[in-house]
Amino acid sequence: MTARKTTRILTFVFVAASLLAACGPPVQKSEFFGKVEPPPGQTLRYITGSEPESLDPAMSSGQPEARIDVALYEGLVEYHPKTMEPIPGVAESWKVNGNASEFVFFLRHNAKFSNGDPITARDFVYSFKRGLRPELASRVAFLAWEIKDAEAYNTGGAFVRDPKTGRFVLASEAEESGGGGAAEQTTAAATGEDAAPDTEFHRRMHQPNRLFVPTDEKERAKAFKANPKLAALVEGKELVPATADDVGVEAVDDYTLRITLRQPAPYFMGLVQHQFFRVVHEKTVEKYGVNWTKPGNIVCSGTHMLAEHKPYNELVVVKNPYYWDAAQVKLDKIVFYPLDDQTTMMNLYKAGEVDATYNHTVPSAWLRAGLRQASDYMDAPENGSVYWQINTTAPPMNDKRVRKAFAMAIDRDALEKFRVVSKANNVFVPSGILHGYPSPKGYDLDIEGAKKLLADAGYKDASGKFDASKFPATSVEVIYNTNESNRQVAEFIQAQWKQNLGLTIGLRAIEWKTFLSTRAKLEYKGFAGGAGWSGDYMDPYTYLGLFATEGGDNGTGWYDPKFVDMLNAANREPDQAKRYAMLSKAEEYLLDNAPIIPLTKPATSWMKKPYVKGMYPNAATLHAWKFVYIEHDPAKWDRGMPDMTTDQLAEVKE
Amino acid sequence: MFRFIVRRLLVTVPMVLVVITLTWALIRLAPGNFYASERKLPPAIEKNIRTKYGLDQPWYVQYGRVMRNIMTLDFGNSLRYESETVNDVLKRTVPVSAAVGICAYLLALLVGTTMGTLAALKQNSKLDYAAMGLSMLGISMPNFVLGPLLVLVFSLSLYWLPPARWGGFPSRSIVLPVLTLSAIYMAYIARLTRAGMLEVLRSDYIRTARAKGLTERQVVLRHALRGGLLPVVSFTGPALAILITGTVVVERIFALPGLGTYFINANLNRDEPLILGIVAFTSILVLVFNLIVDIAYGFIDPRIRY
Repeated sequence: MTARKTTRILTFVFVAASLLAACGPPVQKSEFFGKVEPPPGQTLRYITGSEPESLDPAMSSGQPEARIDVALYEGLVEYHPKTMEPIPGVAESWKVNGNASEFVFFLRHNAKFSNGDPITARDFVYSFKRGLRPELASRVAFLAWEIKDAEAYNTGGAFVRDPKTGRFVLASEAEESGGGGAAEQTTAAATGEDAAPDTEFHRRMHQPNRLFVPTDEKERAKAFKANPKLAALVEGKELVPATADDVGVEAVDDYTLRITLRQPAPYFMGLVQHQFFRVVHEKTVEKYGVNWTKPGNIVCSGTHMLAEHKPYNELVVVKNPYYWDAAQVKLDKIVFYPLDDQTTMMNLYKAGEVDATYNHTVPSAWLRAGLRQASDYMDAPENGSVYWQINTTAPPMNDKRVRKAFAMAIDRDALEKFRVVSKANNVFVPSGILHGYPSPKGYDLDIEGAKKLLADAGYKDASGKFDASKFPATSVEVIYNTNESNRQVAEFIQAQWKQNLGLTIGLRAIEWKTFLSTRAKLEYKGFAGGAGWSGDYMDPYTYLGLFATEGGDNGTGWYDPKFVDMLNAANREPDQAKRYAMLSKAEEYLLDNAPIIPLTKPATSWMKKPYVKGMYPNAATLHAWKFVYIEHDPAKWDRGMPDMTTDQLAEVKE
Repeated sequence: MFRFIVRRLLVTVPMVLVVITLTWALIRLAPGNFYASERKLPPAIEKNIRTKYGLDQPWYVQYGRVMRNIMTLDFGNSLRYESETVNDVLKRTVPVSAAVGICAYLLALLVGTTMGTLAALKQNSKLDYAAMGLSMLGISMPNFVLGPLLVLVFSLSLYWLPPARWGGFPSRSIVLPVLTLSAIYMAYIARLTRAGMLEVLRSDYIRTARAKGLTERQVVLRHALRGGLLPVVSFTGPALAILITGTVVVERIFALPGLGTYFINANLNRDEPLILGIVAFTSILVLVFNLIVDIAYGFIDPRIRY
């Protein structure tokens, strides 16, 4: 018996000790986390996230692919390593017309594919139109829908032509409100100065937008049902299917590319950075079909080219000798490791088997345990915004003073400390990440101000002071989609309101799909938590545009034509600084009406060994690889986050 | 014997088809699809995708296509990884999972049977208690605890072995996954061997063997082990099939590009051809291994005849 007892006790002690060891905090003794030994030469070992779905830039939608695509393919423009602004890629320079509806790119003459073939404007025309092929069924093709008639071609649409006169029905004729806004704007574009010679195609592109309807009969019937006016317009007319030739991209000559949009879109430069718009090699794609991205077949256009791909294991790219700026490219080799598990990543990082990881890879428990203080932790704000929506259609939240009061009674700095992987954000468009965008004054913690607003709204005692008992706290609640971090945030804010305003607002967790429909139909009373938006491109419009429609992801019932006009006016402004100022005014107007309560923006939260230089915690965690290199001299290593101010771009030559 | 094998093989075919049909139906019932992401796609884009992959056709057409693929053992291309065929995936991942799985099983077999036999021979001794205590620990400690513990000690403290990733076979990177994976099998086999041996050691033919004057070594190795290992043999079939088709947890902890990794991701991605391909492969493997086990019985135990 004693032997058995001893065994049991020993077993228990061993299990307990090992569990404690496993749960214990990673001990922080040195400045950096784990082994710091640069690999020999110029090789970077990088964890990029899930296994890439596809190496075809037109097919993938995710960030793991984007990070690899930046190495394999170049677009007209590239991401600035710090600010994410467009910097010259294959295009040496570009010109935008007066209302940002036409973009002319001037391509460098020395750009080449990895097999030595020159890259011309025709290659870009091919790449864009191929990405839009309906039969390719790209998930991200909608990014190019701003290009004139791209949507019609991509979605299998047909134009409507009068067989007698040969005249096409215009999009403006079918608009339910009867306004011809879009058509007007495109026509106006023709009056802008022309950066490249006029052509027949160019004149055609400046005709007003044509109406298109689905070619598929069933789909067309659906469209008619949604808009009865359509049926009358199509009656007795012939349908002309949209083709690739209708799409508004034109190779004016070998090195001039002209893109005409369906309407002004100053943010188009941000879209064109996306991998969808990167250039691919026509002959290779057409020859190998779906297998063109396999090693041995693939021809690349970026700083690096594919050497090896072992799915779920590693993807190796090596320097592309034909890259036009090969002299600037320092990394001879990048090894991408596709990995999903945070702990595994951190183990590899600590053991010195990888040099850097992608964003949101550090478990928050490790951060709380001290990793946050490590000099190789990259902690910068991201291009995202986390906010709560308010149902502005029902009392008491239909009073903007009440909405503002709730927004003002939250200590966002405390929330940041509590969340670890978020940064306080008191405005809607994440502050401090869009270069040159002046954020309006946001909501700061102002308990007295909040109380005064509530008193003004009528919730006061005889002496005119705010009285919490007068507020119908039970007629509002917070709904959020079931998720641990949403719950934590909701409870935190509930406590803040209780403490600061004396109001107890109930919380209710709802399953995700139900949450979405409840929010979209405005069936919630009070607040909807858990909303977040990550910017599609580096421009305030990716956020502000959410409130330019009543439907979509608005979810608040707040829709103000004045706000929409402010946005439209800004989008017609060619001067970037002026446009940003106008958008900032619009955001200020939005915040004054308070349909949302901005809370935080995500933090980058990734690790990078100090010897990896030229890699910055930028807002989208996309790295232009030509700026990245391994520094073997410890004196030049990064201690702490690298300098993100743009005038410190000594090593970045544009 | 031959008739037995043929009969069993014939039963295998409809069983695999049933498994595939059920799997296919379950994929259909599960919410979501392979192209869905956080943001809603424009309906027109969704339509392009559905047309491209034939998802707009009636269910019986789609089911017919699945059945045809199974019959020809060509599962087509993965939906998520468009340029890869399911057969490519199997060809690449099975060796990885099999290398880890078979190594782990051989280790488990070696250590487990030794431990179990010794424990049975010295029943109720300290050795018995220690062996059974250890095996109890092995059974109760899940591999997602053991794996990280081993990593903590051997990779992050001692820096002896890589904490994760596949370095090919053989390489240092295989050591920790094999240890992690084998622990529980080692423990099971030790317990099975001990129980089997205890029973056999008390049986009449062992007494006869002893009475004949054989040495203890001969009694144990030639007579007792054959009978004592029967439970282990029946355990081996399904266990080996599971090990070869990949163990999700261990492959994830150590980031191994094995079948388990693909299987879990294929499910998360609703990658129908890949799921069906892996399920078909796994079920065939399980059925075949069970058959092999049944045949092996005949050789090991003279009492069993088909």
